[in-house]
Amino acid sequence: MIGIALVFLGGVITLFWGLNKSESKSLWILRFFMLLSALLSGAEGQGWVDFSELFKWVPAHMLNFNAFKLSMVSILSFFGFYILSLLPSTYKKGADVLGLFAFALTGAMMMVGSQHLVMLFLGLEVLSIPLFVLAGSEKENIYGNEAAMKYFLMGAFSTAIFLLGAAFTYGGSGTLILSEIQMKLSFAAHFGEFPVLLKAGVILMSVGLLFKVSAVPFHFWSPDVYEGSPNRVATFMAVIVKVAGFVAFAQLINTFSPMQIWINQWIVPVSILTILVGNIAALVQQTVKRTLAYSSISHAGYLLLFLILPMEENLPILGTYLLSYGLGTIILFYLMDKYSADGEKSFEMFKNIKNNKIDMAALVIGTLSIAGVPSTIGFVAKYQLFSAAFSQNHYSVYLALLGSAISIAYYFKPFRYALAETNEVDAEQNSINGLFSQICLITGMLLIITLGLLPMITERIF
Amino acid sequence: MLNVFHNLEISHYIYLSTVLFSIGLFGVLFRRNAIVLLMCIELMLNSVNLLLAAFTEYMGDANANGQMFVFFIMVVAAAEAAVGLAILVMVYRNTRKTDVSFLDQLKD
Repeated sequence: MIGIALVFLGGVITLFWGLNKSESKSLWILRFFMLLSALLSGAEGQGWVDFSELFKWVPAHMLNFNAFKLSMVSILSFFGFYILSLLPSTYKKGADVLGLFAFALTGAMMMVGSQHLVMLFLGLEVLSIPLFVLAGSEKENIYGNEAAMKYFLMGAFSTAIFLLGAAFTYGGSGTLILSEIQMKLSFAAHFGEFPVLLKAGVILMSVGLLFKVSAVPFHFWSPDVYEGSPNRVATFMAVIVKVAGFVAFAQLINTFSPMQIWINQWIVPVSILTILVGNIAALVQQTVKRTLAYSSISHAGYLLLFLILPMEENLPILGTYLLSYGLGTIILFYLMDKYSADGEKSFEMFKNIKNNKIDMAALVIGTLSIAGVPSTIGFVAKYQLFSAAFSQNHYSVYLALLGSAISIAYYFKPFRYALAETNEVDAEQNSINGLFSQICLITGMLLIITLGLLPMITERIF
Repeated sequence: MLNVFHNLEISHYIYLSTVLFSIGLFGVLFRRNAIVLLMCIELMLNSVNLLLAAFTEYMGDANANGQMFVFFIMVVAAAEAAVGLAILVMVYRNTRKTDVSFLDQLKD
């Protein structure tokens, strides 16, 4: 709750204070609020502080945060802070873009904490609507326009499907509160047969969310949208939307856990299809940004495997995976953004990266982590996820392992250019903002390695 | 007049809203004009509103949860339409078209 309040406040203050100022000044305010929100929500999640007295006017059946959700809110705020610290702005006019980032993050937190279908829907929309605007924030750029239009049409379409599912669920169970729906379902489970309305409801709601997290066969929009949007917005879509989407999705599937066996029948094929299509399509991409887009699709596939597990005791696995995915993705998007500044879009862009030692280290660590090589957090996350899923379904884990073997091929593509002999040496230029982003980058690398070597820390966090 | 509506069964409402929803869905899939697409999305959302209102009435929900949901959907649909039309105006300025056929620049 404190996270939502702080980030929202930060957004409003940024909007008013930064009305006529350049973006970089108001950026510091927003970064401060996001970092504060990350620290306070994290501390509340660990039970060191308690803000529940402050927010007891919020109805608990609408919006409620337990320890896991507080940690996820903390991670979401941290990722918001991290994206805004690492990726530079392409928009110099004012602070309105920053306000939209803050409001989208608020929506993501609402999704994480929702206990009620209305709240889930509102969170989804508060997350999506600012992103429609942000995708087209470069007004003159025709690709940005296309991305905004495509994202808007897909977003509105998937929302409508999600809502039809919510209406059917309401018709089948008579309530919109998730815990009461679960109660009704376990009651129905005793009689063996579930109402058709509820089955249609969970399928339609899942399709709506699968659109949002870009799982195959609903993924076709995401590479285009990522490529057309400004890099910072594309990172935000790839990380924040997926983290919030999967926490909400896990909660939704957990609500329908009495019909878990039936749900697994279609979640497992979707997951395997997403992993294989995402990884194989990423292999043949020419540009770095599209490769990263398909890589994020394939990670959505691994995360879908989580949904077949019994939810409550396995939540740390979800948290670890989302943390590792976010860290690796943000670092790779940052490098892609930095080295594509001169218009080079293919993997050629990395040919000068070894002149900059920190960036080279970041490329190595980020790639190893997202590919799941031991001693990084990516390995811990994948190992935990696969070993838990193995007890449920052998074949899906074999196929997921095949998928992640394929992924090594394209994750290591940058090294072919990065390690090639070149004679050009260009001078490094460093500014104050450059120094700050270097510090953030090193922090991210240290997090990846530390959490990879000491997995008990993540077990303690979640 | 009211009696006519009370004599309708809930299944009639379900069929009607599913048909309306499908008209909107196929409209989004097959029409090319962006303004028509916006109208189709509105149609999908409004068919859901009809269904929610009908379910609330049918189940005699004392808290009228479904009808409360309808208001939220209406507000969000308005916000969505505002953003959608703004995006459309931006696109029109650059391409002089309201046709979604321009959405193929990013393929490779």
